[in-house]
Amino acid sequence: MKAISQSIRKKDHDPKIEGRSRYLADYNFTDSGKEILCGKLLRSRYAKAKVLSVKLPELPEGYLYVDRGDIPGDNNVNIVLDDTPVFARETVEYIGEPIGMLVGADEKEVERLLGEIEVEYEELEPVTDLRKADHAFFNYEFGHGDVEKAFAEADKVYEEEFRTGYQEQAYLEVQGMMAEPEEDGKMYVHGSLQCPYYVHGALARALGTGPDGIHIFQDVTGGGFGGKEDYPSILGCQVAVAAHKAQAPVRCVFDRREDMEFTPKRHPSICKYKMAVKDGRVTAVDCDVIFDAGAYSTLSAVVLQRGIIAAPGVYDIPNVHVTGRALKTNTVPCGAYRGFGAPQTFFAVETMMNHIAQDMGEDTIRFKEKHLVKQGDKTSTNGKYHFPVPLPAMLDEVDGLAQLRKKHEEYSKPQTGRCRRGMGLSVYFHGAGFTGSGERDIIKATAKLHKYADGTVEVLASNADIGQGVRTTFPKIVAHELNLPVEKVYYNHPDTARVPDSGPTVASRSLMTVGELLRRAAIKLRDIWVEGEEQEVEEHYKEPDFMIPFYLDRFEGDAYPTYAWGVNAVEVEVDTYTGLAKILGAYASFDVGTPVDYNIVMGQMDGGFLQGLGYASIEKMDYDSKGRIRNNSFTDYLIPTALDVPNLKVTLHVEEYPDGPYGAKGAGELPLVGAAPAYVEAIEQAIGRKLNHAPFNAEDVIAALEEK
Amino acid sequence: MVNGYAPKTLQEALEIRAHEKVIPYAGGTDLMVQNPKNAIYLFLNKIDELKEIKDDGEYIRIGAGVTFTQAIASDLVPQLMKEAVSRIAAPAIRNAGTFGGNLGNSSDKADSVLVEFAMDGCVRLVSVNGERVIPVEEFFIKRRENNLRDDELIAEILLPKAKCSMPYYYKKVGGRNALAISRIAFAGTYLVKDGVIEDISAAVIGGAAKFQRFKDIEKMLIGKTVGELKANIDEYVKLYSEKYIFTRGRVSAEYRRTVCMNLTKDFLNTII
Ligand SMILES: Cc1cc2nc3c(=O)[nH]c(=O)nc-3n(C[C@H](O)[C@H](O)[C@H](O)COP(=O)(O)OP(=O)(O)OC[C@H]3O[C@@H](n4cnc5c(N)ncnc54)[C@H](O)[C@@H]3O)c2cc1C
Repeated sequence: MKAISQSIRKKDHDPKIEGRSRYLADYNFTDSGKEILCGKLLRSRYAKAKVLSVKLPELPEGYLYVDRGDIPGDNNVNIVLDDTPVFARETVEYIGEPIGMLVGADEKEVERLLGEIEVEYEELEPVTDLRKADHAFFNYEFGHGDVEKAFAEADKVYEEEFRTGYQEQAYLEVQGMMAEPEEDGKMYVHGSLQCPYYVHGALARALGTGPDGIHIFQDVTGGGFGGKEDYPSILGCQVAVAAHKAQAPVRCVFDRREDMEFTPKRHPSICKYKMAVKDGRVTAVDCDVIFDAGAYSTLSAVVLQRGIIAAPGVYDIPNVHVTGRALKTNTVPCGAYRGFGAPQTFFAVETMMNHIAQDMGEDTIRFKEKHLVKQGDKTSTNGKYHFPVPLPAMLDEVDGLAQLRKKHEEYSKPQTGRCRRGMGLSVYFHGAGFTGSGERDIIKATAKLHKYADGTVEVLASNADIGQGVRTTFPKIVAHELNLPVEKVYYNHPDTARVPDSGPTVASRSLMTVGELLRRAAIKLRDIWVEGEEQEVEEHYKEPDFMIPFYLDRFEGDAYPTYAWGVNAVEVEVDTYTGLAKILGAYASFDVGTPVDYNIVMGQMDGGFLQGLGYASIEKMDYDSKGRIRNNSFTDYLIPTALDVPNLKVTLHVEEYPDGPYGAKGAGELPLVGAAPAYVEAIEQAIGRKLNHAPFNAEDVIAALEEK
Repeated sequence: MVNGYAPKTLQEALEIRAHEKVIPYAGGTDLMVQNPKNAIYLFLNKIDELKEIKDDGEYIRIGAGVTFTQAIASDLVPQLMKEAVSRIAAPAIRNAGTFGGNLGNSSDKADSVLVEFAMDGCVRLVSVNGERVIPVEEFFIKRRENNLRDDELIAEILLPKAKCSMPYYYKKVGGRNALAISRIAFAGTYLVKDGVIEDISAAVIGGAAKFQRFKDIEKMLIGKTVGELKANIDEYVKLYSEKYIFTRGRVSAEYRRTVCMNLTKDFLNTII
């Protein structure tokens, strides 16, 4: 193990363990000693309706109501397309859409008054069935080779449809934001968030102040997993509009049901795959990917892009055609969740490959192995796998951990007892960093180091520690290059008034991209270091020279500079009387490059893998024909408990990335992405049925067994 | 603000109960969630008399204030009951949750109450005016409805010793391995002597707002030989199948039916 990989105590360990960390809900007063008003959202009761009138009860002094009429700037939240309103326009587009916010000193009183508001609606026909949705926010198409010809010449053509469901981030801390008007007329907005500069951009537009009229601070954040990528921009605008009108601090913290029902989650999907096989090899893939975007487009463009780029999987298929659409339904907008579109398509492609192999009477593992891409091969977008593809070695590692090949073979024979076993495999990648040229063209990250006269060094960047450890790993990198003890380098929660824009905390990019900027900045500082002087250095993102430029209009070029790789195996035992599946073991080899802190990386690997297993098995959420989500509590939306945590055996395979710090590449998302296909294949083996959706829970097992 | 009384003896508690509208509060694991408005609580956790587990020769008597953790550690509590309560929630809830609360809450998913149904359990109810002992199946009417009078408290659960020593069958099916409410649960006891079924009882949780037990089928089975059961097992399963009512809840009625029929058959097969 490299010296940099040696684990140290996380910088946020003590305050969190001792309960000293201050989360947004913990503020009794603002830091300037002011009383904080409580804001609560008035939400639509219908999935689609015209709002004819809002009749307020008589409001006591100090209580007020805000809606779209009170927005000083314009009523569009800056995300990707800016189609999400701060407060609903004339029509509401999903159940729970914020129409306005009621604000006042006493939470109970605000709640009571909120209940007395009378809203008159004219109901309209909502779209609450993805199959009937016809408005595409985004519609992409790309490919290479000659798919038609390959299908015409094929020995056999396979077609199948795959479905995946919602997944809720279920972070420990619910969403919450607060806005404080400051003496100098600026608006200070802070809370539980991942991307301070995203919130900054949104606020500048909604308040119409320009970038200098506001600043954003990230409070201690109890988990995000993508759920706090775009949403804090929306809630941030809402509390800021309220604070602007009240000219007083306003905070809005959701309760759990509100959070589960009305904030973004993973896009449900329907993927139609068609593959051609000739002489035992897959020669073409044609897939049509549909994501349920919900009522507004928010992040769907970028989620869909990542999903469809991964659609052919890790396989060398000469002819590729992919279409992808994010469709509008009158439901809560979906957003980012660890994996960002890739878990859906990897589920589809992995399961499709299994089914073809089974039909051909081939072992699914061997079938996948013989199609694996290797260094130098073309990617789905005519980019290149520039670096070694370590999948064969990783497969052997997982085989060693899981006795994968032996058990997979054994369980593939027909079984008859009450309890039956299965072993499933997935092989996949996660593109490291932003999709396409976003990093170069849009983000243009800048990071700084500030050295104080006493020799301590402060990291100035805008990446949020949301539990994944950047408050520890950033200083570790800087301390390493400066030969300083890590106590001398620190990274506070970012405030956009103080830190440059080093980009959002997304896409597994922080450590790889910003960590590298900081490493280079540290070398710069080392070279000019003068004892006893205050000094500052700055670094800007530069795209690696080897990259083939990416064109989004054609989906051509390197979508990612490099890839993190994953091989997962899951072993289950299914009780055919109850449908309950016990995970006997879950095994993985993950290649995220060099771990910049072994424990932190292993925490990410175990946690992400487990989240993926939840997604695969018990985490079920759906909306009904009225567009309402009923699984809005931890009683109705089950996530794994400690007793559901299987025997996780995870190993790291290190394929160093030369442009990441010490060889590190994207880590955060990878471990979630491949769990579902491995789990579902294991269930397939156990019950001897062909399956095509996730999550696959006990009820699904019984239904599949009952089917003749 | 929580208002209430914390008497140290049952007698004191009954006096308060007789004179004021109070809500009995044992472990609070249901009440904390329900959080009724303006409640005045009668806290029972200081009353040692309610925390005893005794063997009176005829019954195992479990005090209303006995926690699940306490029961699991006891030598007197029958194995079937231990198995059922050890699958309730998670340690924190089991440390606080009580038998009296499980029954008093009148949920049709209460795991200890299912076992009381299957074992012909009785409940001893007390008030300043005296006491009455009635079968649990008379006490529990349906979900959210029971026979507790305004001045009464649950004092004890009585489990007939004859049933306590019988072989049993138990299976709980929840949505995950811990912190899971029963979607289906099956509890049964039986006794076979010289190849003849001397006793059998079985109850299920499966929706329908109640616990389901069919004594008429049990009566048909008692006195039959194991061979006769074996020869006609599908018919007995069918009898059950015609009687069970399953409703949709967090899972479909079809799922409940299939699983419950699988378990019923498995139970009968265990006897053979
Ligand atoms: C997270 C969680 C998971 C749970 N999982 C399960 C589970 O798996 N299985 C299950 O069966 N239950 C479960 N429960 C429900 C609960 O824990 C049980 O019902 C428990 O037995 C309640 O006991 P208690 O002492 O806490 O009751 P309390 O909350 O104190 O009281 C419950 C009710 O009983 C009444 N009551 C209590 N004692 C008496 C008495 N002596 N006389 C008259 N009335 C009385 C109260 O007035 C109240 O109406 C769960 C609860 C939670 C919060």
